[in-house]
Amino acid sequence: MASKPLFIMLCSGEHEKIQLAAMIASVAAVSDRPVEVFVTMNAVLPFQRGLSKEQRYQGGHFHEEFMVKNVPDAIELFEQGKMLGDLKMWVCSMVLDLKHWEHDRDLVDGLFDGPAGLAKFLSDAEDGELITL
Amino acid sequence: MAERQTIDARGAFCPGPLMELIAALKLATVGDEVEILSSDKGSATDIPAWVAKVGHEYVGTTEHDGYWSVVVRKAK
Repeated sequence: MASKPLFIMLCSGEHEKIQLAAMIASVAAVSDRPVEVFVTMNAVLPFQRGLSKEQRYQGGHFHEEFMVKNVPDAIELFEQGKMLGDLKMWVCSMVLDLKHWEHDRDLVDGLFDGPAGLAKFLSDAEDGELITL
Repeated sequence: MAERQTIDARGAFCPGPLMELIAALKLATVGDEVEILSSDKGSATDIPAWVAKVGHEYVGTTEHDGYWSVVVRKAK
């Protein structure tokens, strides 16, 4: 039986939350489960193109340990999930409009499948399980 | 003839060892075995659960001093 799709709404820019979203998304995707991630509000900011690791990842109790220990990089986990499984990444079109950003110009190269609106994401998520971080 | 390769993922935290195993299985031939060495405690239970979910063959786990050796056979 096909697995129920997993939908993740990531709205926190805290390193811990991004790390957890990346872990859940990548492991679910490589476990034959379709995954869609909707990145919105200040969670979009760490995905800006050209940031150093120190600029990109901030916040959360385990942030310092993530930075110095051999914990997989969150962006790389999302990329592995896309490469090895059925993982799609969407960025909130409202946030892009507010920042005057384009997903394929200002965000991490090749990570996002495109901009998306909240109504479309919520409609699609009715067919699966929704996690908000 | 089936082959076995060993991947040393000791020192990597979850889900690093699992992702390394999956990448190796993707490149392997059906019947090949991949042995993953992991010091991440969760791998000893996570990897067999993942194998059961996706339909590969779990060969076994051996506990060593501070790390685990988990062997998986590519089944599809």
